[in-house]
Amino acid sequence: MATVQVSEAEKVYILHGIRDDLRVDGRGCEDYRHMEIETDVVSNTDGSAKVTLGHTAVLVGIKAEIGKPRPMVPNEGYLEFFVDCSANATPEFEGRGGEELGTELSNTLYKVFNNKHSVDLKSLCISAGEHCWVLYVDVLLLQCDGNLYDAISVAVKAALFSTKIPRVHISADDEGGKEIELSDDPYDCMRLNVENVPCIVTLCKVGHRHVVDATLQEKACSVASLIISVTHKGTVTCTRKVGGGSLDPESIFEMTEAGKRVGKALHAPLMKLLQQEESLGQKRQKVGFLG
Amino acid sequence: MPTDTKRVRGPEVSQSPSLFSDKPADVVPSRGPRADGRQREQVDVRPVFVRCGPVSQAKGSAYIEAGDTKVMCCVYGPRETERKDETDMKCGRLTTDMRFAPFSCPERGSWIQGSQEKDLSLMLQESLQSAVCLHKYPRSQIEVNVMVLENSGSVLAHAVTCASLALADAGIEMYDLVLGCSIRQDGASYVVDPSYAEENSRSSGGGGNQGGLTVAFLPSLNQISGLQSDGEMTQETLTAGVRTCIEGCYKLYPVIQQALTKAVRKAAPPPSES
Repeated sequence: MATVQVSEAEKVYILHGIRDDLRVDGRGCEDYRHMEIETDVVSNTDGSAKVTLGHTAVLVGIKAEIGKPRPMVPNEGYLEFFVDCSANATPEFEGRGGEELGTELSNTLYKVFNNKHSVDLKSLCISAGEHCWVLYVDVLLLQCDGNLYDAISVAVKAALFSTKIPRVHISADDEGGKEIELSDDPYDCMRLNVENVPCIVTLCKVGHRHVVDATLQEKACSVASLIISVTHKGTVTCTRKVGGGSLDPESIFEMTEAGKRVGKALHAPLMKLLQQEESLGQKRQKVGFLG
Repeated sequence: MPTDTKRVRGPEVSQSPSLFSDKPADVVPSRGPRADGRQREQVDVRPVFVRCGPVSQAKGSAYIEAGDTKVMCCVYGPRETERKDETDMKCGRLTTDMRFAPFSCPERGSWIQGSQEKDLSLMLQESLQSAVCLHKYPRSQIEVNVMVLENSGSVLAHAVTCASLALADAGIEMYDLVLGCSIRQDGASYVVDPSYAEENSRSSGGGGNQGGLTVAFLPSLNQISGLQSDGEMTQETLTAGVRTCIEGCYKLYPVIQQALTKAVRKAAPPPSES
């Protein structure tokens, strides 16, 4: 992750502030920064979303393609994740520098979605064993100011919500083979149910307390963080400890509980916002990248 | 899309013959005794066989066998690094590499992609980093190479144990040994130290609460240095699972200590005759 140099005096300052539940920018330990979400920003994709969390900016584009289902699960489609840390974010990511971080992020996304209930994969099946929808979720990091996991998971959820998969129709053609026909109406599409898509919460251990949505400076003061992905019901789909330090079992229990609480509280306003944006329809003022 | 470019694979159209078998894949039942006679809901880890120093060329090495899972680890270092970063001046660097032999899993490299190995290497590094006294090795690099010879379940947990033994065998200063333990939650019951079949069974009934959890633990310091879970579980199940894994690590501790002292005694010079 891009790092900043933090002096010892600054570290002590941040540590003492967090001990008293007051962070450098005035937030409490469990508050998020200002978040802006916009869907449908890229017209060539089937679904897209841009999320800005403080100074972190993430762009997700989803393309649906027809492919062959996996041999072990012939009646399900699947998702493929790829995270690209572009050199725009920091010069450290130039060339292959960002590859390691990108692989780490995409592997975590695979784990987060590796369960039966997050996305209904059976609805992505076209004909069992032969054709299915493959959703390629491509994440692009535009700016990096800490807390990438949270921003990426919110953006993926928003993009999945806005994904419009065209309806296809299987018909038998002359020789008895199967033919796929796309429906003529461009607005005739299938939407995904994203109720159960989890959101990731990153908790950084700073001193004896933990903080949600750490900036890069706060991250430099912490030895270890815990990422936990939570659905709207409070089910935990993936947890992972990152960083080179070790954690006490009691802090882990405390952090999972806090993470579950914060994560659960994130879903309702997010869904409301997405549905509100959708209901504006054509009248919505597109902000795009210049806002 | 992550692909594995390091292995020579068969042509794209070749598939494992098990896909063509008529009988459906055995679904491991989530009730009743386990296939190898161990108990559910109890901290019943497989008996472990450990040996230090099988590889003479390496600075330190270890081999661990738990049930059918066989993992070998070699440690090289501390070696001098060329990088003149400021961070390298103050403390050493630990690099880990975890690889699966192509014949280690039932399917030849089918679901094992390069990116999954990288992910496991990263988790191994995070688990070991807090235990090694890296500040005692400035400007140095310590390399840990783990090779999984046979994957019969909870491979990351055993790799962590094996790697920390190899580090101890190499004489690298550490705060404590790192032990790994994993469980698999299946519906309402859990199994500790799952075998390959138990790890990958997808029971159709399980409403929620199905997933796996791996914990890397430092027993004398009571610290968790690595934690990884997937699937879906409630937070209470997760907490209970972490406690169970910690218990499993405590059970393993005396065996590992014994193996280490045996290796040190063997390597020590015989007492002088005076």
